[in-house]
Amino acid sequence: MSIGAAGPLIALAVVVVVFAALNPQFRTLGNVANILDAAAVLAVVTCGTTFVLLLGSIDLSAAGVMAASSLTVALLVENTRNDADYGVLGILVAVLLGAALGGLSGLLLVLLKVPSFMTTLGVSAVGLGIATLLFAGVQPGVVDAGLRGWATGRFLGFTHLTWIAAACVLVGWVVQRHTRLGRYAMAIGGAEEVLALSGVRVAPYKVAVFTMAGAFYGLGAVMVTSQLGSGVVQAGADYSFSAITAAVVGGTLLVGGRGGVLHSTVGVLLLTVLANGLVLVGVSPYVQGGVQGLIVVVAVAAAAAPLRHRNQVVK
Amino acid sequence: MSTPASTAKRSGSAAVAAGPTAAERLTSLMPVLALAVLVVALAAADPDFLRRSSLMAVVDAAAPLAVLAAGATLVVLCGGIDLSIAALASLSSVLLALWLPGLDALAWPAVVAVAAVAGALQGAAHVFLRIPSFIVTLGGMSVFSSIALVVSGAATVPVVDDTSIRWGFSRVLGTVPSAAVVAVVVVAVLALIVKVTPLDSSIKATGYSEAAARLAGIPVDLVKIGAFCVSGACAGLAAVLLVARTFSGGPTLADSLLLPAVAAIVIGGTAITGGHGGVWRTVVGALVVTLLRVGLSIVGVSAAYESILYGAIIVVAVALTLDRSKVLVVK
Amino acid sequence: MSARPEAGPQPGTSAPPVLEVRGLVKTYPGVTALDGVDLQVRRNEVLGLAGENGAGKSTLLKALVGLVRPDAGEIHVRGERVRLRSVEDAADHGIGMVFQEQSLVPNLTAAENIVLGSEGPGVRRGFYRWATMRRLAQEQLDKIGSTIDPLARTDSLTFAERQMVEIAKVLRIEQRTHDTPVIILDEPTSVLEPGEIETLFEQVRRLREFASVIFVSHRLDEVLDVCDRVYVLRGGRAAGEIRPADAEPGQLHRMMIGSTAPEDHYHGGAAAPPATSRQPLLTVRGLTGTAFRDVDLDVGAGEIVAVVGVHGSGREELCKALFGAVATSAGEVALDGRKLSLTSPRAACAAGVGYVPAERKTEGMVGPMSVADNMTLAKQRVRCAGPVVVPKRQADVVDSWIRRLSIRTPGRRTAIGRLSGGNQQKVVLARWLVGGDVRLLLLDHPTRGLDVGARSEVYRLMRELAGNGVATLLLADSLEEAIGMADRVVVMSDGRVVAEVPCPADGKPSPLDLVKEMV
Repeated sequence: MSIGAAGPLIALAVVVVVFAALNPQFRTLGNVANILDAAAVLAVVTCGTTFVLLLGSIDLSAAGVMAASSLTVALLVENTRNDADYGVLGILVAVLLGAALGGLSGLLLVLLKVPSFMTTLGVSAVGLGIATLLFAGVQPGVVDAGLRGWATGRFLGFTHLTWIAAACVLVGWVVQRHTRLGRYAMAIGGAEEVLALSGVRVAPYKVAVFTMAGAFYGLGAVMVTSQLGSGVVQAGADYSFSAITAAVVGGTLLVGGRGGVLHSTVGVLLLTVLANGLVLVGVSPYVQGGVQGLIVVVAVAAAAAPLRHRNQVVK
Repeated sequence: MSTPASTAKRSGSAAVAAGPTAAERLTSLMPVLALAVLVVALAAADPDFLRRSSLMAVVDAAAPLAVLAAGATLVVLCGGIDLSIAALASLSSVLLALWLPGLDALAWPAVVAVAAVAGALQGAAHVFLRIPSFIVTLGGMSVFSSIALVVSGAATVPVVDDTSIRWGFSRVLGTVPSAAVVAVVVVAVLALIVKVTPLDSSIKATGYSEAAARLAGIPVDLVKIGAFCVSGACAGLAAVLLVARTFSGGPTLADSLLLPAVAAIVIGGTAITGGHGGVWRTVVGALVVTLLRVGLSIVGVSAAYESILYGAIIVVAVALTLDRSKVLVVK
Repeated sequence: MSARPEAGPQPGTSAPPVLEVRGLVKTYPGVTALDGVDLQVRRNEVLGLAGENGAGKSTLLKALVGLVRPDAGEIHVRGERVRLRSVEDAADHGIGMVFQEQSLVPNLTAAENIVLGSEGPGVRRGFYRWATMRRLAQEQLDKIGSTIDPLARTDSLTFAERQMVEIAKVLRIEQRTHDTPVIILDEPTSVLEPGEIETLFEQVRRLREFASVIFVSHRLDEVLDVCDRVYVLRGGRAAGEIRPADAEPGQLHRMMIGSTAPEDHYHGGAAAPPATSRQPLLTVRGLTGTAFRDVDLDVGAGEIVAVVGVHGSGREELCKALFGAVATSAGEVALDGRKLSLTSPRAACAAGVGYVPAERKTEGMVGPMSVADNMTLAKQRVRCAGPVVVPKRQADVVDSWIRRLSIRTPGRRTAIGRLSGGNQQKVVLARWLVGGDVRLLLLDHPTRGLDVGARSEVYRLMRELAGNGVATLLLADSLEEAIGMADRVVVMSDGRVVAEVPCPADGKPSPLDLVKEMV
């Protein structure tokens, strides 16, 4: 691993050491579990966003997709609003809805040739609309014990959510490293025109990547719903942006083809540790978003610095 | 005049020769057509709609949106995007509510100035750090939200004495909403400044072809920073109009205006790829967006469909106005 | 033209050529790139293809791999007429190309690149079988005796190594045809070091054992060194065929540039003042950038200086640097004794420097904007009173220049994208003239893509401007053009100025004199 690739990992280590020195509460085992629990949803969402970024595209749809999936799952498992009790099937439907919305972004991108930041912004609005329709003024509380157990149950000291996130990262890594979909996503971000010269049709792979990202957002929404105990329109409010921030900070560049799931996960941990540590040392949680905003700008600028030249066009 | 004639003839047969196609003309007129169709349809659905008071209500509702979107239109014309406008307007509303008691009549100019500086800072970061504009403004969005939450304590800030901004929510000549007048004046001034100065060709050249503009000696960096600065100032001014009508500032007051604003820009026919479009088009777009919302409630459709509609409109309008010669590889 | 009924390989000399091109024609608006090319590639030979820039080499190659569809003519592969619609198509017929700019995905492994798009058993149910991938790639690399690790990331390899990967990738088409493939190498040596070139030549000779090779290069000695036969292209036609055994570079070059001397009509007035007697207007001292080093250069008022050099000589970058469009690290530039700031194109503009970029469509003009707006883009003040645009003033200025340069346009409001290339270029040139303050013109391939009539008009305009005392730095499209137009030719090689050849109207050097310095 080169110095550049190790940067985020070193930053993570430094942040951990600094907070551990500043605050004794930070270095308890319980807090480590807390951090990993807090990082779980973002890690899953970031898995999805990472693949889109590898293409060189961008995905702003997590907020809307997660809203729709959150309401969907809350209304399909045993809940306070209706008689539905589909259990795991309901969770599956919510994930599939996420995948469908993701696929829609991808289809609009390849068919209408509309840039991804616009299609995903549009799809996000559609997802929020679906969520608002499903919400219909009354918040559906989750009764289903299985789903509630995702957030509350523990295995080896860590919440089930943490384990689910770990599994997602593992799956994401395998897809990225060992499947044609993952390798082609890398290649599309690296040199899309070369794939065309080699006779590869890239459109289906792009759609597939967006679909997979949507599925990750769907699962993330289910996890949030379990945490909150009810279906919420705001379930994914800040995740689009946090996921991009985490991925970029971890070394998954916006230009595409660089970084990957493991890089992004380091970014997720870095952001979460930062959030956790800042709260522990007494910084207002409202500042967090702003800190993230600055971090992403600095990270993108730093990544772009070596590639800069004078007559470059940046949109 | 003999040799060049052959060249001219050749150009006639060349691939670049054709004038605007019927489809292009239709696309260009689309916003106005959409507006007309909407007005007719709404009048048919509800005859009361054509009464002066309902029309004025629509115009009044569209005004803050038009101001907000007009500034961002300049950024889009330069080939960028400003996703921070709504958050910046929210922050501005909080600042205005906080500063009104102390600064009184100077409060709103101060807020507009601060918003303009915030916009210019984003522009400078975009230009000098070479970061894509949507990332800079996405970052700006969360920074502004964060500041708004912190300074307001995450609560609505009420305005007690609104004398100095009452001009933002009153009636001119007893009928015309003052906010609409403000919007028209702002857009007219912007349009006029752009139109009568070389800025028009500087902005368009930057949007159509940044490389060519730079090599023609156009100060592309300054043009872009200027556009972001105006975009910020417009967000500040939109916040003044919003505070005037809600008698309060709030850290998320204008957040929901981002999608309608982007929709207004692209519905107006300004191409997301840059160069083509204008601020007047955005006013038409803002009216269309507002009428759609009004229309939905007249027809009795749930407000939840609004968001779905915006999503669909944004994608379709962008697809229709896209400059396809520029997007060989769409990311 | 009669189709050959008997397809398929036949032994002996009666076998049809592996690849045959008959009367291939391709025209672009204003330019004929291929004007009836005939060509035959035989089994297991290395065929050289030589020609100047614009001779039609790259169009011909693109037609052979399905990237360009010819307007007329036929391509026959092993006696069978084919239509090549894509690179895939060409590969199916056993034709593959190693691209000059390299077509590898940098962030994948060498093995993935080699099997890209035809992984076969390397992928099962969407999952990569790395051992198989590695073996498949190794088989290809073994053919050319390369020792590269197939699982190395492509961007960690050297340029020469990447070229080997690319050759190995192209060789995969062998499996589709079960017959002698045709491998095209487009300028494979342009970025290689001498030692690497020798290795490449060994590879090419090895390739000949089981493939036919089309070898394209502008380095004539190389072509003669490695090829069995050499075709020379000139003006979109096959100008002749040479057997290297009984030829030398001079003969080859004469065929490339034709027997005619550089045309005199370039010189128009012919009475250009002897510029060397004057104080130089532009002085460049020790200018250093990423692609050029220690460049010293003078251009006098009214003088046209052409800079010539092969691909990679650094002349394009030098030209851009003088306009402030690429960064420099050292050196001094002065215009008329005053230091010229190279910080931005804007500064250069203000100092009276004008630049006509080589890429007219993307860098020279703003296609959807009007002729008038394009013409006044750089010198806004000519259409303004104070800060305000005066439409009447713009109309007067633009119309007068439309007349002066005989620009064929329906009107000044017409979008420049709708004009022909020659008229577009005249508008781009006029952009620097409307201000009346241009002192130095940097012309980067100003006649690229223009037809003969438009070219001569641009030449006439250049002469006229020089007559008015404008200093001109010209990167010409061909040696002929450089010699014909210039008062002095500066030769660049590997980023340095290596020679200066005076080029007066009554004593033009021959292109051969220049070529000696260039390579």
